Amino acid sequence: MTESALESRVEQAAVRRRQAASLIILYGILLAVATVLMGTFMFALLASLKRDPLEQPFRLAFEQIHPANWVVAWRLGRQGSGDAFWGGFGPSGDVTFELTYAAPADVELVEPAIEVPRRRPGTGMAAAVYRDFAADHIVDWTIEHAALEPFEVEVDGVVTPWQRATWTIRFRHDNEGPRIERVPLTAEAPLSQTLVDATLPPTRIERRGRVASWENITPGSLGYVFNNYRRVIKESVDLNTGNSLFVSWFKNSFFIAAGRVILTLVFATMAGYALARLRFPGNRALFMLLLVSMMIPVQVTFISNYLVIRDINLLNTPWAVIMVTIVSAQVLIMKQFFQSIPKEIEEAALMDGAGYWTTFYRIVLPMSRPALVTVTIMAFQGAWNDFFWPLVLINSPASAFTLPVGLLSLRNAYGGAGDWSLILAGAFMSTVPVLIMFMLFQRYIVDNPIASGSKE
Amino acid sequence: MNQSMLRQERTAGLMFALPFCVSLFVFFVYALVRTVLFSFQTYDLFSTPEWVGVANYIALLTDPLFALALKHSLAFAVVVTTLQTGLALLLALAANQKIKGRGAFRTIFYFPSILSSAAMTLIFLWLFQRQGLINQGLGWLSAHGGLIVTGGLLFFALQTLQFLWKRRKYTWMRWGDPFNGLVSFAVTVVVMVIMAGYGIGVRALEQPVAITWLNTREVWGPLPRTIWAIVAMNIFTTVPTLMLLYLAGLQSIPESLYEAARIEGASRWQQLRHVTWPRLMPVSFTVVTLGIIGTLQMFDQVALLGDAAPLESKVTLAYFTYHNAFPPGGSPRIGMASAAALVLATLTLILVLIQRAVGVSETTND
Repeated sequence: MTESALESRVEQAAVRRRQAASLIILYGILLAVATVLMGTFMFALLASLKRDPLEQPFRLAFEQIHPANWVVAWRLGRQGSGDAFWGGFGPSGDVTFELTYAAPADVELVEPAIEVPRRRPGTGMAAAVYRDFAADHIVDWTIEHAALEPFEVEVDGVVTPWQRATWTIRFRHDNEGPRIERVPLTAEAPLSQTLVDATLPPTRIERRGRVASWENITPGSLGYVFNNYRRVIKESVDLNTGNSLFVSWFKNSFFIAAGRVILTLVFATMAGYALARLRFPGNRALFMLLLVSMMIPVQVTFISNYLVIRDINLLNTPWAVIMVTIVSAQVLIMKQFFQSIPKEIEEAALMDGAGYWTTFYRIVLPMSRPALVTVTIMAFQGAWNDFFWPLVLINSPASAFTLPVGLLSLRNAYGGAGDWSLILAGAFMSTVPVLIMFMLFQRYIVDNPIASGSKE
Repeated sequence: MNQSMLRQERTAGLMFALPFCVSLFVFFVYALVRTVLFSFQTYDLFSTPEWVGVANYIALLTDPLFALALKHSLAFAVVVTTLQTGLALLLALAANQKIKGRGAFRTIFYFPSILSSAAMTLIFLWLFQRQGLINQGLGWLSAHGGLIVTGGLLFFALQTLQFLWKRRKYTWMRWGDPFNGLVSFAVTVVVMVIMAGYGIGVRALEQPVAITWLNTREVWGPLPRTIWAIVAMNIFTTVPTLMLLYLAGLQSIPESLYEAARIEGASRWQQLRHVTWPRLMPVSFTVVTLGIIGTLQMFDQVALLGDAAPLESKVTLAYFTYHNAFPPGGSPRIGMASAAALVLATLTLILVLIQRAVGVSETTND
């Protein structure tokens, strides 16, 4: 008996069971793929919040995502500068910070040595232009010691008496100096006593546990969670102007993307219309050339393009990057769209004596909204993500870079040591505009096979 | 239609096509011609070019770095195109059902392909650090290796047992029956969780896995380890999207074809071979063409590696071209760069043509 004949004998219930099972397996596979995809991004996103994204083992729960710390950071930020979100230390700042140490009962608890170090933030270019230190603007600090509190520690059934004490430190701003972004703090105590609690968990423990250090005790809640993101903006600075490089990269990328969108819309709609509707000499040849141009890698043509741009003195300007792109894929999309709409309306307009331009501009374009949106999105995304042309055409100064090239320079600047908290934060920040675009217009992106295929 | 209207249409067509034509001619045709000319000259971007005939091509042939670049590009294109097409097809076949909520999955699957290659590459470089998540994951796998192998064996044993049991009772069942598979899988998972709870099949690692993925000269098979990391990243971003293309292709095949095949007694494999595969040819053609073009021009990922990897472990044709045109701290060798660029262009066209020829013969066979 053949397999299919056997199959037909299987009872109905079994068939239904099998269909249900294959549906479950299908969802399982789709979910697994989705989990691998989104999981990778979630892990990277979490890591971008960490002080050390390469910590081993990788923790899913860490200080920055602990809500209790957000509340504390909120309070500290408000005490320091009145800004509960981004914190800082400014005039009328008045911050209290508590440290609790513990030791066995027979060891005397001593007051920790507190210091606000004149520490420059980070390792980046910002370290060179950093001027204001919290240490210079603190008028006085007081340290108060609460009563000793006895408690018991039980190890392997042996109960030892311990004691703990809390010191409250209060910092006040001198009311004259500027608002300072961060207040670092170190607390040193003898090895015999252990730091068991603090208002915020210390950023680092140094010298075998004797010194606890905090990068910033007035972070504000957003400043606490998104410290790395703030650092990318503040620490990538132009040494000449003191402006944030990251912000100028963002602006450059936007300018180029906007220019590219306009140029693409003009070129692609006009050429697409000519190829779809108008008979002119060289029509077919142009179409073949367009197809070939989509197959030839940009690395084949970049030298001449570089020279052309150099000869017209546009190197290191955003105009160069806007100009050199060839919008073949978008022309193709427009051509296909124009061919899919009925000819009759245009023909009627032409018969009525309207010129080709009027017909195109007044009748065809208004009907082409969906295709125009698709082309706009493609052009924006392509320009925003473009790496090769900006790399070739914009070499200096660093403030003329676009975001992707800027990220490369970030990566090289922190190369060996690899300040991954900055690199990851920068990478995620650079994707925000495309993410927003994706959320708003996803049906245009997801449903378009050519757009998805011509991804760089 | 009279003469003057025809003439009007021709003028209008030329005018409409003009802006795009200018850009295409200046930045593509002229550039391509110049690349060909440069490939027969020596030029350093500043002095006047000198005609040297085929010297650049001979220099390319004797340049060990070019040989490496060529080998890496070809191997990368073949490996990535094969893996991504195969995996996408397998996943799509496994997932081929009409389902609710496909939109949500589509959105998620598209997500990596909209991000910039710079952001994606940096995230992957982070994953592939010595203390990175890839190594930590490998460490976890090797610690739980015993458990995983046991689980796999158990699944096969359970499935075979069910199969034999059914056969004994003269009930029809395929070995790969989804319902029984699900039962075996559930039992396996429960047993594995219990085993893990008791620490059976789990061993403690003496030291964490610390494979150097990027800054290494180690070569695995056709590619350096550094490029294998890029292979993983490429596949990660492309497979989900390609899978959706295949899924759409699969669902456009009419069910009646399968019914007809079943009536004629075609086995599952025969249905796949003679109904599904030929019908998927257009999709496969698109997927493979895009794959070849995309992989041969792979550049961003290599450039973003920066100083983190030696040149010999990361060079590809596209990067070789760029590296010769703008060598860090050296004088540009435009002739060499152009010759290499033309090799790259020719290679792309040849591969696409071969692919097209093979693809066409496949469809005519059936």
